[in-house]
Amino acid sequence: MNATVNEIIASSLHLPLTMVEDKLTMAEVETWDSLQHMDLIASFEQALGIEFTFEEIVSMRSVAEIKRVLKDKGMEI
Amino acid sequence: MDVQGKRIIITGGVRGIGRAIVEALIAKDAFVTVFDINAAGLAELRETHPTVNCIECDVSNYDQVTEAATRYHAEYHAANVLINNAGILFSAPLVRITPSGIEKHDLAMWNRTLATNLSSVFYMTASIVEKMITTRTKGVIVNISSISSFGNVGQSAYSAAKAAVNALTVTWSKELSPMGIRVVGVAPGFTDTESTKQALNESILTETIKKVPLRRLGKPEEIAHGVIWAIENDFFNGKILSLDGGLVL
Repeated sequence: MNATVNEIIASSLHLPLTMVEDKLTMAEVETWDSLQHMDLIASFEQALGIEFTFEEIVSMRSVAEIKRVLKDKGMEI
Repeated sequence: MDVQGKRIIITGGVRGIGRAIVEALIAKDAFVTVFDINAAGLAELRETHPTVNCIECDVSNYDQVTEAATRYHAEYHAANVLINNAGILFSAPLVRITPSGIEKHDLAMWNRTLATNLSSVFYMTASIVEKMITTRTKGVIVNISSISSFGNVGQSAYSAAKAAVNALTVTWSKELSPMGIRVVGVAPGFTDTESTKQALNESILTETIKKVPLRRLGKPEEIAHGVIWAIENDFFNGKILSLDGGLVL
């Protein structure tokens, strides 16, 4: 699952997979703007068959936070 | 999306094409709310169709839209569908040669036409979509455009406003689709409404009808049928449905 999460992030944000680390934040990635964030959210929802709340969407501003939210939703990371 | 039971807002639903859309939605058991500036018209609509929720609002006024949307959301939660239909039909060329010289397009009417046909779409959609996203409500935005969006002689302001509405439709479809919100347009041609008859004198109307391959005006019910199709077809997105009898301007 961890690889899948990283792969989804890399694919959606057009980043090399090696760049996707837990400490990576939205502020550090030029391509990770608010529009791309919505695309990233949609990618997770479609791939994992889940739906995030608006509060979760707002909080998912780093790879670590994305993984925390996914864990809270019962996903195995 | 099946419209039955859905919360649907339409602007300018008292008369003309808007009224036909309202009645088509009622027939399909949608929960319809009409935002309209016409208080007397809303009263008549409420009396004729008691299930319709009516909110008096000038949708070209940002503060009124914000206040009306807040009231709507407090009572009914997020909408599933917004139909941006309100508008005014204004015809005037850029310059008019008169016996006494030349007159420029009236500035006040330019501003009013853009405010009513274009800014209203921006004000309403921003207010309604904000709530849809914060509540993760999926749905559809339908923008009523016009055949004039391709550029119609004598309709500088109206054509410009409707072309901009088409551009917003495409832009917003790209921005909002990831959140489950489709954005579509419906562009009527010349339609048999009071506003068409007021905007075009009888001889121009007769000449216009001759240019339509089907040799007639559209019926408001035919436009309403297209709007409901656009809502119900979940793969229709970011496009403008032309309903003009085959007329090319």
